[in-house]
Amino acid sequence: MSSPDAALPAWGAPFGESRRDDLRRSAPLGRLDRDWAFGDASGRGVTVAIVDSGVEGEHPAVAGSLRRSVRVELSGGDAIVVADEAVDVVGHGTACASIVHNLAPAAELISVRVLGPDNRGKGAAFAAGLEWAIDEGVDVINLSLSSRSEAMFAVFHDLADRAYFGGSLLVCAANNVPVASYPSLFSAVVSVAAHDVRDPATWFYNPNPPVEFGAFGLDVDVAWKDGGRIVATGNSFAAPHIAGYAARIRAAHPAATPFEIKTILAATANVPQA
Amino acid sequence: MTGERSPERLPEQAREALRQIVARASVAARLAPPAGEAVLRSIVEATVALFGAEAASLALHDPASDRLVFRVAAGSQGEGVVGLAIGPDQGVAGYVFTTGQPLALSDVERDARFGRTAAEQTGFVPRSLVAVPLLDDEGTIGVLEVLDKRDGAGFDLRDVELASVFARQATVAIRASRLERDVRTLVHDTLSRLAAGDASDGAGSADSATIAAIVADVTRELDSDDDPLWRLADEIARLRTADPDELDLVRELLAVLAGRAERTASARSRRRGR
Repeated sequence: MSSPDAALPAWGAPFGESRRDDLRRSAPLGRLDRDWAFGDASGRGVTVAIVDSGVEGEHPAVAGSLRRSVRVELSGGDAIVVADEAVDVVGHGTACASIVHNLAPAAELISVRVLGPDNRGKGAAFAAGLEWAIDEGVDVINLSLSSRSEAMFAVFHDLADRAYFGGSLLVCAANNVPVASYPSLFSAVVSVAAHDVRDPATWFYNPNPPVEFGAFGLDVDVAWKDGGRIVATGNSFAAPHIAGYAARIRAAHPAATPFEIKTILAATANVPQA
Repeated sequence: MTGERSPERLPEQAREALRQIVARASVAARLAPPAGEAVLRSIVEATVALFGAEAASLALHDPASDRLVFRVAAGSQGEGVVGLAIGPDQGVAGYVFTTGQPLALSDVERDARFGRTAAEQTGFVPRSLVAVPLLDDEGTIGVLEVLDKRDGAGFDLRDVELASVFARQATVAIRASRLERDVRTLVHDTLSRLAAGDASDGAGSADSATIAAIVADVTRELDSDDDPLWRLADEIARLRTADPDELDLVRELLAVLAGRAERTASARSRRRGR
């Protein structure tokens, strides 16, 4: 822990300019390129779930790509998933959706609202929403939030494996501070932190887990509540970039498993300049 | 035998000693300023100074009312927010509180509705802000917000990480002060630790019901809030802000009253002695 960054530990630290030399892979997968990986780069035929605060269906930045909205209701010990209006209680889910839509304009978006006055973003609601998306067979599931509850460790571990074996790719934002959070730190998911390059087309693969990808998350121009826009920073906005690229890959290669999509993402990541 | 330290075999002298400790700790807790307010204030002041920010504030979740209450603030534009209580899922602070994910926003004045709400609530509309969660072992207990760098720059990833470091300091301070104030929790934790230590020695350990019974026994006095002496302690606590002259006056009054009480008591015992 002698590097200058050690004073401010963060999951994003490996992607900072001073540390980027460490991101060189020992097994370069050099024959894959983005043209091949992305096909027509539309995301056509792929579903992407946004598990968050809801998605504003009327927002011009999602432009009619929202196919379905559900929310989790907690009653007693049970969590049930019910149909929801296309609303966003914060703006954050719409921000994530706008990033995905921008990168994969033909992908169909599904909003799974786990935040809001009715459930307070409890771990149980979050898990129920995630489980619903996995059971629905959604191709790519964006999770810009995570649970810190140790009690939920096993539940999320199980869900992450179910998604992985079932063909749903979980793309999770790591917390900005290096605390344990689930499922973002499990190996079956694609975990993402923000890098410090102002370019949505730049992403890095980190061969030193737990956080394996660094993507655009600094001063991102995103959609927000009530038809608005805002400039936002955080790992929350890095994850949907990788989700958008994953949707392109899945559309171009429908049979690709989560393992293969992750490998393609790693193979087509930017190589840090010497 | 270590088993003799087990709470179920706690001798009466030990219980009496515990009662004494509880009584003294409770008086100290009542006289202390609420929840380390001074420490929290110094943390937000340091935050403002280090970021060169217009304001910083700290909101803590109040489980009783289920609101996020802005407890302390610093900076030229900070004071307006103190005392404001919002729903734990309202706005940016609410999102950060419910998800535990930090967030930095710029150009927030572009979102007219955001600005209006902020202005109505605090009298100040920021251009940019960073909000990070106060993460404790059991979850998120509050939110630290920093508003507007005076040099006009937005908040970058490093700022998010730095704010998170301050948030951690605040969490530690809050945790320490809560422990201090909650004498019951303190006694309970100490006895549980003792019992766990005994269990690891292989001797019999107290179960949680036994510990609860002992805690109830030695803290019984704490419940009698109508005890005139407790009310007096609360009144004295209100003198925290008194100036030295006022305190001298109170001391003189108390000395006169205490002298009178002693004379009455000894007269009573003389009469009884006859």
